[in-house]
Amino acid sequence: MAAVNYVAASRVYAKGAPPAVDALDLDIKDGEFMVLVGPSGSGKTTALRMLAGLEPLDGGRIEIAGRDVSDVQPKDRDIAMVFQNYALYPSKTVAENMGFALKMQHVHKDERDRRVREAARLLDLDDKLLDRKPKALSGGQRQRVAMGRAIVREPQVFLMDEPLSNLDAKLRVQTRSQIAELQRRLGITTVYVTHDQVEAMTMGHRVAVLADGKLQQCASPRELYDNPVNQFVAGFIGSPAMNLQTATLTDGGARLGGTVIPLAPGIRTAAARDKLSELVIGIRPEHMHLADAAARSADGFGGSGTDGAELTGEVLLVEELGADALLHVRLADGGGSVVTRTEGRKAPVPGQQVRFRVQPADVFAFHPVTGARLAG
Amino acid sequence: MTIIQDVVSPPVAQIGPRGVSRRESWQRRLPLLPALIYTIVVTQIPFLFTLWYSFQHYFWNEPGGAHWIGVSNYKEVFTDANFRSAVVKSVTMTAIAVIVAMLLGVALAVMLDKKFFGRGIVRTLIITPFLVMPAAAALVWAGPMLDPNFGLVNWLLQPFGIHHVAWLSNHAYGSVVLVMIWQWTPFMTLIVLAGLQGQASDVLEAAKVDGASAWATFRELTFPHLRPYIELGILLGSIYLVNAFDQVRLMTNGGPGTETTTLPFFLYQKVNYAFDVGGAAAAGVVTVILTIIVASFALRMFARVFQFEEAR
Amino acid sequence: MTAITATQAPSRTSRFAKNRARELTGKTGWTVLGWVVGIAFFLPVLWMVITAFKPESAAETWPPQFVFKPTLAQFRLVFSGMGPFLEHSAIATVGSTILVLLLAIPAAYALAIRPVKHWRDGLFFFISTKMLPIVAAIGPLYVIALKTHLLDSIWVLIILYAAMNLPLAIWMVRSFMLEVPTEMLEAARLDGAGRIREMSEVIMPVIVPGIVSTALICVIFAWNELFLAINLTVTNAATMPMFLISSVPQEGLYIAHLSAAATIASVPVIIVGWIAQRSLVRGLSMGAIK
Repeated sequence: MAAVNYVAASRVYAKGAPPAVDALDLDIKDGEFMVLVGPSGSGKTTALRMLAGLEPLDGGRIEIAGRDVSDVQPKDRDIAMVFQNYALYPSKTVAENMGFALKMQHVHKDERDRRVREAARLLDLDDKLLDRKPKALSGGQRQRVAMGRAIVREPQVFLMDEPLSNLDAKLRVQTRSQIAELQRRLGITTVYVTHDQVEAMTMGHRVAVLADGKLQQCASPRELYDNPVNQFVAGFIGSPAMNLQTATLTDGGARLGGTVIPLAPGIRTAAARDKLSELVIGIRPEHMHLADAAARSADGFGGSGTDGAELTGEVLLVEELGADALLHVRLADGGGSVVTRTEGRKAPVPGQQVRFRVQPADVFAFHPVTGARLAG
Repeated sequence: MTIIQDVVSPPVAQIGPRGVSRRESWQRRLPLLPALIYTIVVTQIPFLFTLWYSFQHYFWNEPGGAHWIGVSNYKEVFTDANFRSAVVKSVTMTAIAVIVAMLLGVALAVMLDKKFFGRGIVRTLIITPFLVMPAAAALVWAGPMLDPNFGLVNWLLQPFGIHHVAWLSNHAYGSVVLVMIWQWTPFMTLIVLAGLQGQASDVLEAAKVDGASAWATFRELTFPHLRPYIELGILLGSIYLVNAFDQVRLMTNGGPGTETTTLPFFLYQKVNYAFDVGGAAAAGVVTVILTIIVASFALRMFARVFQFEEAR
Repeated sequence: MTAITATQAPSRTSRFAKNRARELTGKTGWTVLGWVVGIAFFLPVLWMVITAFKPESAAETWPPQFVFKPTLAQFRLVFSGMGPFLEHSAIATVGSTILVLLLAIPAAYALAIRPVKHWRDGLFFFISTKMLPIVAAIGPLYVIALKTHLLDSIWVLIILYAAMNLPLAIWMVRSFMLEVPTEMLEAARLDGAGRIREMSEVIMPVIVPGIVSTALICVIFAWNELFLAINLTVTNAATMPMFLISSVPQEGLYIAHLSAAATIASVPVIIVGWIAQRSLVRGLSMGAIK
């Protein structure tokens, strides 16, 4: 059983300074692939290093397999770590790099070699590479050696600190799936840090979003996408990012770009309760459907509830993605700019006036000050 | 669609890098020439003279100047026990001083790599011996420090039961080597420290996570990383120390007897006291040959130790 | 799942004090060791300076005196006697350093920026001259100096010190030049800068601190040099190291006076060395280590 628990774990660098990690409560199940994601400075790397034992805990505690390891040395925690810059031992060969930890544990040479070879096979590392030094390897090979060094140890927990960030784009996508598959095969609890939300969404069983040292939300990728708990998570997860605009509240909805968007009753009640006059509307680019130019509603109210609201605007820029196209649209009536996603072949051109529909169910609303999601 | 093969026209000449034009070549050489010519004139000409005089009988205090005697100066050099002793003394003194200075240097560098209060000041204190004028250091150690009757060292050693040692008379060799070590440890320390500070911190963290103790980390990772720096320090230190003169001249004057007569001092004596320019020249030539043999190994190591930064 | 808000302040920093205390005790141990070693190494220098303030009667005592009536008498004696020596040292040091820079900077350019075809051989040649012992040629050097009427003239020192420091300076300046970003040079070339312009407007401004450190290292070696001075000068060009030797008379008390002379002689270089501390390693390793 190698579950990991952060219990109100904190890290403060100087007395009185804002904490780098602020009372983090996170429960990671045995065998789970947990991704810690967030912008730089969010505390995700610090939280990982606290688990590794490379940063001391200034408050709370951390448990591995039910045991409090807060004061335990890194080497006694039975963890293995893959560093961002790989941190391979420059004076040692690949085989020696991978077998180093076992050597420190006084494992017999034959056993060491066996395990090293096995890990190399698992990672598609050619036997010829085993006798080379790190400086004679490519970036991708070094990355695999770093992973091999961790795998050989057969630890209770894998820690990975942005292991893909130094690879070129294509290699990154390839290695991403290899890591996810490897973890599934080995079944070892993994804590993975990244700033790239695409990595987080595709790899993690659950994703913990951090900002300013605090945990924002911890849930499955699908849950994060469908039910973000605050504005930060909503805007962070999903690519391209959710459109967030301030809109004034009116009867029945919120006014944005000259149109009133109908809001669910639950949102309206929550807004009224907090006596809000305006709120932040969030709509994902993929939920803004380009309306046919011919279809036009009679009333300027944006159509009936089932059809959703209709927004108009002028296209500023078209970004071709191949299958899709992203439109940067300036909304009418000073509504700000939004990004919408549309099918590649039918994309309009810059300067063109467009209309698109939005379903009320796809509209998120957030408190303008706290950022908390307003819902029923 | 057919693929048309060109089998008629002659093969295109292989394209290789063109290099720079003649004119450009000379323009590039120009800035180097002053330094090159200067060095050749000032360093090589004296050696040519040395070679010339080594075959001459030439004593200062004799009238009549120099005359050719072939290789008899060389015969004398090779049969002179004092010359052989001077070579041995130079080699052993340098070896001991360099090795001890490097051992201390590594220890001090490890210490200075750790953060502690006043580290910058301590570092400045430690490098000071290297900056003190060697002549001044030699005289201060000979007098106020090591004198049997009023020296500070004897006073400091009293609690340990050591009384009134006449360092320069009874332990001349050790005293001279001690001062060499005192002056050159800072040099070794700085070089090793540069090496320590160049180690990537995440590699050390990885070792921590992999379960290496502080000693294992040093033995397996830090020491291999430091090897080129240590080699460089030993190499450069040896080059400087083998030519060391000030300490011998000012502390012991080569004595007692020839106990501390190193090669530089030997040559100095030959010129200034024996007035034997010819003999000194022959000894000098032999010294240069010995140095060339050692230096060629050293230069090879130099090229390996330095990552030879490519010129633009 | 809702976000969990921060808990009360006390538990957030409950271990903070303990961690800081542990760090502090570790630091204290090294601090004590560091200072003990530092003072041990500095002690002879300290003793030299202290002794310089003693009257001779208090300098050659047993046990050595730590409490005494400090006097400037020794310094006054030193100042009255050292004039010409100081002047010669200054001229030889500054003169040779200027000469070195004038030769080394263009040479380094030719070995770094627009390199000569055999730049590796060039560098090796210069460093090989450093490895050859000057002591071997001292006899003939004396004869040459005599024949060219340069014996006991400040010029012989300037010329030889420059030759002594030139390899060091070339390697050092070269290592600084290699740090000029290639993009800067390429941008200048695209803007039409020729060699002179490239040197004066792009390279020199960037490497000025490097030139200064190189100059300081050369000053240190030239100022401290004894062997050539003692063999090739007598009175007209005698330098500070010679002055020190002359402070040791055949008889009479001289320790305090010697200490004062040693202090004055060493202080300029010690200060220069403290200032150039950072580049000391680069200079000593001929630019190999930054």
